Amino acid sequence: MAADASMMLWTEKYRPRLLDEIVNQREVIERIKQFVKSKNIPHMLFAGPPGTGKTTTALALAYELYGGYWRQNVLELNASDERGIATIRERVKDYARTMPIGDVPYKMIILDEADNMTADAQQALRRTMELYTRTCRFILIANYSSKIIEPIQSRCAIFRFQPLSDQDIANRIKYIAEKEGVDLREDGLKAILYVAEGDLRRAINTLQAAAALGVVDEKAVFRVVGKASPVEIREMMELALRGQFVKAREKLRELMITYGLSGVDIVRQMHREVFALKIPEEAKVKLADKIGEINFRMVEGADEEIQLSALLAYFSLFGSQLK
Amino acid sequence: MSARAPLWVNKYKPKRFDEIIGNRSAILEFRAWLKRRLKGANVEKAALLWGPPGVGKTLTVEVAAKEYKLELIQMNASDVRTKDQVMRILGMASQYVSLTGRKGKIILVDEVDGMSGTEDRGGLAAVVDLIDRSRFPVVLTANDPWDPKFRSLREKCKMIRYDRVRSSSIVSYLKKICLAEGILADERALKFIADRSEGDVRSAVNDLQAVAQGRKKLTLEDVKWLAVRDRQFNAFDVLRGIFAAKTCRAAKIALAQSTLDYEMIFQWLHENLPNQYKNPLELAEAYEALSRADVFLGRTKRTQAWTLLSYVIDLMTAGVSMARKSPYRFTKYQFPERLRILSKSKEIRSLRNELCALIAQKCHISRRGASSEYLPYLKFIFEHNPEMAAGIARWLQMSEEMISYLAGWEKAQQIISLMRRRKSK
Repeated sequence: MAADASMMLWTEKYRPRLLDEIVNQREVIERIKQFVKSKNIPHMLFAGPPGTGKTTTALALAYELYGGYWRQNVLELNASDERGIATIRERVKDYARTMPIGDVPYKMIILDEADNMTADAQQALRRTMELYTRTCRFILIANYSSKIIEPIQSRCAIFRFQPLSDQDIANRIKYIAEKEGVDLREDGLKAILYVAEGDLRRAINTLQAAAALGVVDEKAVFRVVGKASPVEIREMMELALRGQFVKAREKLRELMITYGLSGVDIVRQMHREVFALKIPEEAKVKLADKIGEINFRMVEGADEEIQLSALLAYFSLFGSQLK
Repeated sequence: MSARAPLWVNKYKPKRFDEIIGNRSAILEFRAWLKRRLKGANVEKAALLWGPPGVGKTLTVEVAAKEYKLELIQMNASDVRTKDQVMRILGMASQYVSLTGRKGKIILVDEVDGMSGTEDRGGLAAVVDLIDRSRFPVVLTANDPWDPKFRSLREKCKMIRYDRVRSSSIVSYLKKICLAEGILADERALKFIADRSEGDVRSAVNDLQAVAQGRKKLTLEDVKWLAVRDRQFNAFDVLRGIFAAKTCRAAKIALAQSTLDYEMIFQWLHENLPNQYKNPLELAEAYEALSRADVFLGRTKRTQAWTLLSYVIDLMTAGVSMARKSPYRFTKYQFPERLRILSKSKEIRSLRNELCALIAQKCHISRRGASSEYLPYLKFIFEHNPEMAAGIARWLQMSEEMISYLAGWEKAQQIISLMRRRKSK
């Protein structure tokens, strides 16, 4: 790892290894350190917005608890990637069968994006947790604790991760830039804070991508995010509003197939962008309402492209009435 | 088709009896009858070769004419309608003996079962008359001569039955054609064509020509579109039926009558809504119906309550057609672009998924998260900074295809050579 360390992704290279290095989240960290000291941890639920250090904290906790044996004693699962509760249960079962290595009497299972599980799957998970409590501790990670069913919440110590302040992110970004010898300008830093919206991972990725151009200034940062996000979505919305439905639908397909955005990603970005469109204020409300309706139907329906095409057709109709 | 590009059915038409595939015993039976008939033995004056299309009925007669040096007088049943026409044919048959120097003639009347109803009643009697009067052997062909109105005809004829030709025989025939045309053909492709023809050699050869002419190689993929082609014609009809329907019932029937999968039609509708509905209000309403149909489809699949499917059907047929406010406008429908893109980009998508799996593993994130939180930045880095990209590519242990996917082919070569240099240091 050391040999190539200079060429890793910076989010990994600068991921804190120890609890004390974690940015902000002081209260959470203090409490967790107490658990580590006593070598006795409960099941835990980490909840909070993306890029605030939930996974990092879980990994650091594992590292401090198990030391050199942490890899052997930790199973990382991601609810979004496993093929349903049955596979999760199987993997937990297999893993829990063997004894932990070292002086801690239990193993650890980190289940990321747990709020993506259905309520039924969570019920099954609860039983699994109970079954292996003696040999395993679970750390569930979620954006919203409210999407975790009550019975699981009541079995977990819940830790809420606060959104990072701009100051926290700025400090970390400056630190990394210094270590990497990046020429980070003041307006570049400001732009990074603007696009990151409290998400440190996004901030670091933006920094690294902008650094690929050389000097990190405002222009470089916006070149990076221009690729990654809202511009194309806004273009698609404007095409539809101008009545160019077929072109808008082509754009939609490009975003979904070539860029690999999910329908939900797109509808959320549309929601964010709709208020930036140059249309009457009351029109924005109507469009937001329709976007919400389509977002809801997408959850219910079978085919995201159909739903989004219907939304674009509505935009076209709406655009023709604005004229 | 010009002489330079003849139809293969003609170009490769068998010239001898032993070149005809299938129906061996029928041919023997026919030859035995013909020989005796030519000798003036006491047999039926006419033969009726009957069976499905494209199995060699007419061909048998054509080959017989060659083999026995007979002049073939060939006509379609619709040419034989009146007594006058019969007399003219017989006149032709008896008058021009010397012109070709052949000793005899054979009269072929194709598709006698094509004559129907009252309009051809006279025709049928004329054919019977022709058989009675002719000095020469008369051969009739038909697909289905079992209608009672052909009874008098059947009684005068030696009935010889032709069957569908076996798929394996058709395959070896197609193989010969490919050999002659210099085409390297995958056996599975030929089998696909043969199976599809359902024993009809003529249509199999036509299909082969349609997919293989001008090629050096023929793969299974090349012939698969034959199936698509058939279905496509069907999809056009269904779409037209739905879009042009004036009542809900008519729209629903348009779908019900099709053998096509409703989900396929769903994609066709999705593709063609903007072609049919140019007016934004119509388009939005039609899409609203499709959107609702999709919601019901999602519920149906999730709950496995297939009775809900009828609401899907209602909305995608009646819902879409009732959005029309103006008279139906003829529209050329397109094959769903999306299906094409999806099949084309299949490899790219699976490559991207593998890449996301690599990132997910190293960066403690889901594959979906990798796709949205990392890929765009990686793409940017790979497009702009080969040095940094090379390091990351090594760290993630990316394949060269993945590097090409992120950087484009040219930049990728640069990155790959940088990686090699660093490794050799």
